[in-house]
Amino acid sequence: MNIPLGDYLMLSAFLFAIGLCGALSRKNAIIVLIGIEIMFNAAILNLIVFWHYKYFAVPTAYMFAIFAISIAAAESAVGLALVIAIYRQYKSVDVDEFTSLKG
Amino acid sequence: MEHGEYLQHLARQQWLIPFFPLMAAAIQSLMKRPSRKASGALTIIAMGLSCIFALRAFFATIGGGGQHHEIERAIFNFTWFKFGTTSLGLGFILDPLAEGMAVMVAFVGFWIFVNATGYMADDENFTRFFCFLSLFAASMLGLVVSNNLLLLYMCWELVGLCSYLLIGFWYFKPAAAAAMKKAFITTRIGDVGFLLGIVMLYWKTGTLNLYTHDTLHPGALEQVSALALRNGWWGLSAASTIAFLLFIGAMGKSAQFPLHVWLPDAMEGPTPVSALIHAATMVAAGVFMVGRMYPLFTAEAGSWVLDFVMWVGCITAVFSATIAVAQFDIKRVLAYSTCSQLGFMVMALGAGSVVAGQFHLLTHAFFKALLFLGSGCVIIGTHHEQDMRKMGGLRKYMPITFWCYLIGMLALCGVPPFAGFFSKDEILLSTFHRNKYAWGLATFAAFLTAFYMTRQMFMVFAGKWRGGENDHGHDKHGKHDDHEHGHHGGEPHEVTWNMWLPIAVLSLFAIGLGFFGHKYGEYLGVEGAESVEGKAVVMGASLAVVALGLLLGWAVYGRKTMEHATDEDPLSAALGSLFTFLNRKWYIDELYDVTIIRFTATCGMFFRLVDKSVVDGILHAIAWTAWGISQVFRWIGDEFFINGGFDAGCESVRWEGEEFSKLENGRIQNYFRVLSLGAAILLLIYFFT
Amino acid sequence: METIFWILSAITVLGALFAIMLRNLVHCVLSLILFFLGIAGHYFLLRADFLGAVQILIYVGAVAVLMLFAIMLTRHVTGDEGPREVLGGKWWAGMGTAIIIAGLLWAIIRKDQLAQILPAGGAQTSMVEIGKAMVTDWVVPFEAMAVLLTAALIGAVVIALEEVIRRR
Repeated sequence: MNIPLGDYLMLSAFLFAIGLCGALSRKNAIIVLIGIEIMFNAAILNLIVFWHYKYFAVPTAYMFAIFAISIAAAESAVGLALVIAIYRQYKSVDVDEFTSLKG
Repeated sequence: MEHGEYLQHLARQQWLIPFFPLMAAAIQSLMKRPSRKASGALTIIAMGLSCIFALRAFFATIGGGGQHHEIERAIFNFTWFKFGTTSLGLGFILDPLAEGMAVMVAFVGFWIFVNATGYMADDENFTRFFCFLSLFAASMLGLVVSNNLLLLYMCWELVGLCSYLLIGFWYFKPAAAAAMKKAFITTRIGDVGFLLGIVMLYWKTGTLNLYTHDTLHPGALEQVSALALRNGWWGLSAASTIAFLLFIGAMGKSAQFPLHVWLPDAMEGPTPVSALIHAATMVAAGVFMVGRMYPLFTAEAGSWVLDFVMWVGCITAVFSATIAVAQFDIKRVLAYSTCSQLGFMVMALGAGSVVAGQFHLLTHAFFKALLFLGSGCVIIGTHHEQDMRKMGGLRKYMPITFWCYLIGMLALCGVPPFAGFFSKDEILLSTFHRNKYAWGLATFAAFLTAFYMTRQMFMVFAGKWRGGENDHGHDKHGKHDDHEHGHHGGEPHEVTWNMWLPIAVLSLFAIGLGFFGHKYGEYLGVEGAESVEGKAVVMGASLAVVALGLLLGWAVYGRKTMEHATDEDPLSAALGSLFTFLNRKWYIDELYDVTIIRFTATCGMFFRLVDKSVVDGILHAIAWTAWGISQVFRWIGDEFFINGGFDAGCESVRWEGEEFSKLENGRIQNYFRVLSLGAAILLLIYFFT
Repeated sequence: METIFWILSAITVLGALFAIMLRNLVHCVLSLILFFLGIAGHYFLLRADFLGAVQILIYVGAVAVLMLFAIMLTRHVTGDEGPREVLGGKWWAGMGTAIIIAGLLWAIIRKDQLAQILPAGGAQTSMVEIGKAMVTDWVVPFEAMAVLLTAALIGAVVIALEEVIRRR
């Protein structure tokens, strides 16, 4: 397998940008969370790619990837619970309407 | 060799001795529904098991002695935890000093617990009381069998905590609440010294294990000869400095002179607590600890630490005895007597005789526990009356209590066949060899002991019952007692069997224990090289003063007993204001009030003033200086040049604020966008550098 | 091998794009599952078998299902947004930022020598090694993670249950 490192990095950069785009421009809070998940996955892919190319000490990147996945899972659980709680409050999942933190 | 292995085996099981009461305490604290019977039985059974294990170890240590003078000592150390290269160990020890003490604590404790089931029978918080008692017994036994200063210190503090909890057991009484705080804080002052000593010991030796039997990593007490050569503080060697600091801890715990104030107040607790903690075991912990660390005290020849120890003990002995003469509360007399006897023990240690000190500790524990339990019986029998002036004639009503009390009193006074005579005699003899003045004072204290105990006997048991005079014989606790003992009327009555049995058993020991004094010296492994020189003088003198004290007591109180509770004390008539002085305990509490407490308050005031004047002053000075400088600038150019520009600047800041506040619109994606814009800028910078 | 890589990359990118572009939320999540599977395929390709399995278990099995539930609890079961506007206000700013970042990353990767590296034999970390590392050198992060997951779980339950508690 002769794929240069750059191709993988490029892939994860594009995935990251797609996730960012979704998180920044969509209205629905669940899609925002989906965008965040995509960005997470792009970052984790990066870690594994560097592990495969022996850029880090061997188990380190792998461990980081495992822990990152755990954190992402925790984050999505809390995030979705928040979405449900907010939906009860506002009867909406539209992020543009959540403005009670307005200064 | 087989014997040594057996001892090693036992040392490995030493933890069982404190384990049973600890479990009893744990189970009681977790019990869902408190049950009096279960709680009392559990505590007593646990203590009995401890007592059996302690006795087994005790007989093992006796068995091997005799032929060789090597002290039988088995240890069991283990590592508690490690950080880096340092490790902290804990350990248990099995040697005569520990076992004698452990047997005493477990045995006396057992009988006190039995007595407590009677004394506390109608208390609402029966199970809480026994839970605390179990915890106390566990920590005291742990203290005794520990081979490590850290473990010893932990148990030491636990013992202090239990004392605090038990003194304040009736926390709804303001006096008890005050006493618990006083006890805790006063002993804490001593504990600071103790902790410093431990830290210094660790610093100088690198270990807190007392014995290791390992030449590569010797324990702290195996390094004393090296410590005696190193420099400590105040011109002492390191060994003596550590010894001095440790002794400060012992002073707090064993209620020695400047720190004795908590012990009499501790009598606010229930009487079994007074018997167990403030007579037999906890207060003895200080004396025991000094005995345990004794090699440190003697390491440096000719240091003043031992003299200091002796004089502290001597002063305490005399001082407390004089106060005990003029007290009216039956328990307070005993409390000051305890102080005084502890002074005797400490004096013996200071005079260089561990055997005498430790032996008096053991005998005293038995007969003082007896006396306290006896006073508890008296208090119950007279429906919670503690004032001796309102007692009298109890011999008729409570014969068993009377005879046991009499034995305890004779033992305490030091009348020949009883236990106290032998141990006190040994103390006086060792002091006689060390310092004649201290011996004289101690003999005087022995005289006072005989006197005040005779006074107490006559006031409580002789004459006629004076309690029924005012109303129903109880004014303070009237409401409570009418409810509980209403059908008894005002008449005193004998107590139930579970209260008099313990004192009967203990009185047997108060009679017989003294004869083992010589054996105990051998047991501890100290050579019986005591010279007989001066023995006749000392013994004669002590016998004479005891007889004198008894006679004088009879002359003042016995010939003509008090008729009414309101009568003036005969001694008070004779001594006048001196009696009041003694009754108010030499005004020591008041002295502390106007010195230490006032001093602390003054310090507080002073620092507040400093804060107000100096610190605030500096701040104000800076502020005023800045203001002055700004005034100067203002007059020079500000008014003309800057002011106009500044106003414009303010206006623009206000406008910017309004604009920026639009960014804070609470929309989460907006923040997110700004965030990613920042990331983009960072990437841009990375790209071009 | 290269072919597999390109196919997987196409699946992944398309999955991600559809996940954020489709109108129907349920379709979004289904396409997100496709994306997750693509990433898992990449992991297998990179010889990170364990992580690939974890990816499928956690993301496809848990997170995606959780999202489906969230959609069902907040919308009609079909998840159709209807004729409403799906893009938020100032969507152009978000999209612009994303495009700028993508461009910059692309430029940086192109410029960097690092990107030319080819795999040198490939790393191997067996599950046994992971297990050992987890309870020796990495035990503190591991425990911290356990605490974090517990806290997150409890927190999620508490947040979602708030209404019920208030009603009582």
